[in-house]
Amino acid sequence: MSFERIKPHLPWITLLVLVLVVGAADSNFLRPSNLISMAADIVPLFIMALGMTFAIYIGGIDLSAQSVANMTTVVATIALPTFGIGAALICILAGVVLGGVSGFVTTRLFVPSFISTLAVGGIAFSAAQYMSGQRALFMDASLRDSTFGWMTGSLAGIPSELFIAAALVLGAWFLQSRTTFGRALKAVGAGEPAAVASGLNVNRIKIMAFALSGGLAAIAGLLFAVKLSGGSPTLANGFLLPAIVAVLVGGTPLTGGVGGVINTLIGTLIVAVIRSSMLYFEVDATQQQMVFGLILIVAIALTIDRTKLRVVK
Amino acid sequence: MSNVLTRDVLIKWAPLIVLLVLVLFFTAMEPRFFSLRNFARIGISSAPALMVAIGVTFIIIMGSIDLSMEGTVSVCAVVFAFAFIALGGTLASWAWLAIPLALLVGGAIGLVNGLVHVLLKIPSFMASLAMGFVGTGFALLLTGGDRIRVEDDLFRSLLTERWFGFPIMCYVALLFLLIAWFIQSRTTLGRNFYAVGGGEELAHASGLNVNRVRIMGFALAGVFYAVGALLAVGRIGIAETATGSNFMFVSITSVVVGGTALWGGIGGVWNTLIGVLIVNVINNGMVVIGLPGYVQDGVLGILVIAAVVLSTDRKSVTFVK
Amino acid sequence: MYELINVDKKFPGVHALKSVDFKIGRGEIVGLVGENGAGKSTLMKVIYGAHQPDGGDITIDGTKVRFQNPRQAMDHGIGMVFQEQSLITNLTVMENIFLGFEQQFVSYGVINWKAMAEAARKQLAKVKLDIDPGTTTSKLSFAQRQLVELAKVLTLEERIDGDLVILLDEPTSVLAKEEVELLFSLVRELTKRASFIFVSHRMDEVLDLSDRIYVMKDGEVVDVVAHDDANVDAIQHKMVGRDVDKEYYREQKQKPYQVEAKPLVAFQNVTATGKYSDISFDLRPGEVLCLVGTEGSGREAILRTIFGLETPSAGAVSIKGVPVSKFNAQVGVANGVGYIPRERKVEGIVAGMSVYENMTLSQMGNYANSGVLRIGEEKTLARRWIDRLAIKTPDVYKDCGGLSGGNQQKVVLAKWRSAGSDIILLDHPTRGLDIGAKEDVYDMVREMSDDGVGIILVADTLEEAIGLSHTIIVLKDGNAQKRFDCSPGDKPSLYDLVHHMI
Repeated sequence: MSFERIKPHLPWITLLVLVLVVGAADSNFLRPSNLISMAADIVPLFIMALGMTFAIYIGGIDLSAQSVANMTTVVATIALPTFGIGAALICILAGVVLGGVSGFVTTRLFVPSFISTLAVGGIAFSAAQYMSGQRALFMDASLRDSTFGWMTGSLAGIPSELFIAAALVLGAWFLQSRTTFGRALKAVGAGEPAAVASGLNVNRIKIMAFALSGGLAAIAGLLFAVKLSGGSPTLANGFLLPAIVAVLVGGTPLTGGVGGVINTLIGTLIVAVIRSSMLYFEVDATQQQMVFGLILIVAIALTIDRTKLRVVK
Repeated sequence: MSNVLTRDVLIKWAPLIVLLVLVLFFTAMEPRFFSLRNFARIGISSAPALMVAIGVTFIIIMGSIDLSMEGTVSVCAVVFAFAFIALGGTLASWAWLAIPLALLVGGAIGLVNGLVHVLLKIPSFMASLAMGFVGTGFALLLTGGDRIRVEDDLFRSLLTERWFGFPIMCYVALLFLLIAWFIQSRTTLGRNFYAVGGGEELAHASGLNVNRVRIMGFALAGVFYAVGALLAVGRIGIAETATGSNFMFVSITSVVVGGTALWGGIGGVWNTLIGVLIVNVINNGMVVIGLPGYVQDGVLGILVIAAVVLSTDRKSVTFVK
Repeated sequence: MYELINVDKKFPGVHALKSVDFKIGRGEIVGLVGENGAGKSTLMKVIYGAHQPDGGDITIDGTKVRFQNPRQAMDHGIGMVFQEQSLITNLTVMENIFLGFEQQFVSYGVINWKAMAEAARKQLAKVKLDIDPGTTTSKLSFAQRQLVELAKVLTLEERIDGDLVILLDEPTSVLAKEEVELLFSLVRELTKRASFIFVSHRMDEVLDLSDRIYVMKDGEVVDVVAHDDANVDAIQHKMVGRDVDKEYYREQKQKPYQVEAKPLVAFQNVTATGKYSDISFDLRPGEVLCLVGTEGSGREAILRTIFGLETPSAGAVSIKGVPVSKFNAQVGVANGVGYIPRERKVEGIVAGMSVYENMTLSQMGNYANSGVLRIGEEKTLARRWIDRLAIKTPDVYKDCGGLSGGNQQKVVLAKWRSAGSDIILLDHPTRGLDIGAKEDVYDMVREMSDDGVGIILVADTLEEAIGLSHTIIVLKDGNAQKRFDCSPGDKPSLYDLVHHMI
C-alpha cells in the first residue's frame, strides 16, 4: 500500500538521489556548465522519448522510432540543398505519415503495435537505404549553418537545443493536459472500454498518438542530422533502448494511462545522469547497453499495472 | 461451417503456394535462379535463420513472443568462439566442447528470459526485448567490439564441404528441423505449447502447469538460437556482437509468413520452414534479378503485416494495442 | 453418498450460500434450479472444488473431505461439464480428453499417439460418439463438443476407484431438441456408473430428467421436490416467492408517460443475427421500458444496438424519427443516447481519471475551443452535478476509481444527463450497490422520467423491473414473448414474468 503511495514520486526521487550520489563522488558533475552540456547532449534522445511517450501512454509501443529517426537523417541531408528550411517540414511529414501507418495497421487491421511498428520500421529502414544508396551522406557545412544553424547555436550561453526541447515539452504537455485530444488519450490509456462506451473515436485517437510518435521521432532524427552534419541509415542506432527506458523509468508504465510527458522529461534526465555517472565511475561504454537493458526490466516490473493484464502473454 | 473450412484450408496451404509462385516468378525473370548453385546459396542463408525461427515458433505457438534472439545469438556465437579457441581451436581437439557449451548458454539465457517474463509478470514482448538488449550488451562486453575469427577447417567444413551440392550446414539445419518436429508432435511439452496457445485459462483449469510450460518454452527457444548462432559462425567464420543483428525481424517475419498465427495455437515448424524459404527466396531472388538488396526490409515489413492480417479472425479480436 | 451439510459461503457484501444441505445418492440425477443470483453457481463451485466453504461440511460416504482446488475434487470423483465450451479448439479430441493427464501415454519422453487414440476411442464410446479421436476439435459441432466434454469427465472412471458425481451446467443451451434427447438418454444410461447434478434454466428439461429437484432462492435451498410431485407452476412460485415492495421502487412516484408523443426510439422488426430477432417497440418520452429475460436472451444486445455498438442485420431503427443508418457510438452519443453499462468499473467510468474528467468525457467538444479545454467550466459543471446528485466525493479532482459503487454510478449518470441525453440505457444499474445507493438510483430514474427522458432498463432483479417500469417486454432466446403494461396498482406479478421467461 505504502509503495503504491510512493510510486508516483519515485522517478524524481530517483533522479535527485542519483544527482546527489554522482555529485558527491564527482564535484565537477554539479557544475552548471557540465549539467547544461549533459542536458544538451541528450536532447535528440529526449525528443524521441517524448514521442514514444504517446504510444506507450495509450498502452502500445513504437519500435519504429529509431528507424524513422534514421530515415529522417537521410531525408534531411538529401532535401536540404533543394528545399532549405522546407526539408524540416518534409522530415516531420514523413515521420507523421509513417507513424500514422503504424497506427492504422494497429487499430484497423488488428496487428499488435509491437509487430506493426517493427514492420513499419523495416519499411523506413529500406527507404533510408534506398535514398542514401547505403552510404553515409554529408551536409554542406555552409548550407547547414545558414538553414539550421539556429538549432545548434546557443543563446546567452545556453545551447539552443535546450530551447527546442523546452518548446516541444511545453507543447506536448499542453496537448496532453489542456486539449480534448490529450484527455481522450488518457481515457484510452486508462480505460479503453469506457472510452468506447462514452462515444470517443478511439481508433482515430490511437492513430493520432502513433502519428505524433512518428513525427517526434522525425524531429529527433532531424536534430541529429544537423548536429552531426549528415545522414545515414544507421546514424541513430542505439537510440531505441534508452528512449524506451526513459519513458518507463519516468513512470509511464507499459500498460498506459498514467505518467506522461513530464515523467519522460525526468526519465530522460535519469538516463542522462546514469550515462555520465558511468563515464565517471569508468564503467566501460560497452556495458551501457547491458546496464540499460537491466534497468528496463526493473522499471517495467515496478511500474506495470498487472490488474490490467488478464493473462500475461 | 464450410466457410470456416475453406478459411482453414487457405491458411494452411497459402504459404506453400506463395513459395511456389515466388520460385516460378523469379525463374521466369531470370532462369539462372533455378539452379542447384543458387538453391545452395538460398540454403546457406536460410539455415541459421531457420534455427532461430524455429526457436521463436514454439514461443509464438504459445501466444507469446520472443524478441531476444539477436542478443542471444550474439552471446552464444561469441561464447562459442572464445571457448573454441581457448580449448584448442579445432574440432579435432577438446574444442568441440564449445558446441554443447554454446547450447547450454543459449538455454540458460532463454531460461532467464522465461523466468523474468513469468515470475515478474512482464509481457513477453517487453521482457524479451529487454533481455535481447542485455544479451547484445553482454556480447559487446565480452568482445569489446572485436571480431573473433574461427578458422578451423574442420568447423568451417559446415560451409565448405558439400554433399549433393548443398553444404553440411544445410543438413545440420535439416536434422534440427526434424528434432523440432519431434518435440512439437511427439512430446508432452510440444503439445502443451499448443494447449497454452489455444486456451491458456482452459489449459490451466485442466491442471496444466502453464507457467512451467512457458519457462521451458523460452529455454528451448534459447537452445535453438544457439544452434542458429553456431551455423551463423560457421557460415562467415566470424563471431562478433553483430552476429545476431537482423535475426529478430527476419525470424519473426518468417514465422508469421509461414502461417503460424501470432495469437497462438496454430502452425508449427514446417510452416516456419516454408516461411524462412519465402523470406530467403525473396531476398535471393531480388538480388538475382538485379534489384538492390535494401528493398528487402521494406518488402518484409509489408509481408509481415499482410500475413498477420490474413491470419487474424477479426471477429474474435476486440482490442489491440 | 455425496453430501453437503450446513454449507455456508460468504463473499464481501454477499451471503451467497446460507447453510445449504444437499445430498446426492448413487446413480441419482438431481436437478438444481433458481433465478440468476440465487446461488446455483456458487453451490456448484463449492461442489467441484473451485470455492471452499466458510462453514459446514462436505462428506463422501460419510467421510469428511475438503478440496483446495478442482484437481483434488477430481481425485475424489467429482467432475464438471462446463456450460461455456472448455475444450481447446486447436487441439485434437484425444488431446483434449487427456489434457493434463498425458503422462500415462508417455514412454521415454515420447507420446504414444496410438495408445492415446485407443484410450480416447474407449471414452468416446461411452458417450456413443463415433468420431476419429485425432479430429481437431474446432471441426466438431457444438453437440459433439458437449459429448466430448462429457467423455473427458468420464475419464475419471478409470482414474478413480469410488463413485462419480458429474455436474452438468446448462449443458443443453447450445443444443437442438434431438440432441438434447440424445444427451438425456445417455445421461440416464450412465447413471449405472455415476450420479449427475443437472443445472438448467429450461424448467421442462429439469423436470424431465431429474429424480429430485433442489429449488434455490437467495442462497438458500427453499424446497426439494421429488420427480413425481414436481410441477412447473409450484416450482416457479418457490423460485420467486416474494411480493413487490411498492414503496421501495418509488411506485407512488410513477407518472404516466407521454403516450401520444413522437417516439424517441423506434424498433421495427429489428434482427441482429445470433443475438435477437424481429424485435419491435417504441420508446416514448417519460417512459421506463424494461427488457426482461434470462442471461443471453438478447436484452443487452438490444441496448448496444441503440447505443450503436451493435449493427443489426435486418429491420429499421430510428431515433427521434430519424432512421439510423450508421451504427457506432459516436452517432449514438450525437443522437442523445446515454449508455450506463453493467460493467461500471470497466465501461462506465475511467478509473485513473478524476470526477470532472469523467463527467465531460462524452461531451468534451462542449467544453473546448478548437480542441483546447475550458477546464474551469468543466469543474463548475462537475460541482453542480455533485450537488445535484449528492455525489460523495471530497472534490472534483478525486480519482473516480476510488469512489464507492453508488457514487461511481452517479458520476456516469451525470456524464450523460449533463450532456443533455434524453434516451438513457440502463444495464443493471443497481448491480453491486448497497440498499441506500439502490434507492438513490430509483429516485433518479423517476426524476429523469419526469423530465421526459426515455429510459430502457435491464434490471438486476425481476422485482426491480416490475417496480420501476411503465412497460415490460419479456424476451426469451432473442424473441419477444410478451408485452406488459405496468401502470401503478396494475402491475404483473413475478410469476407472470417468469412464466414467459423460461
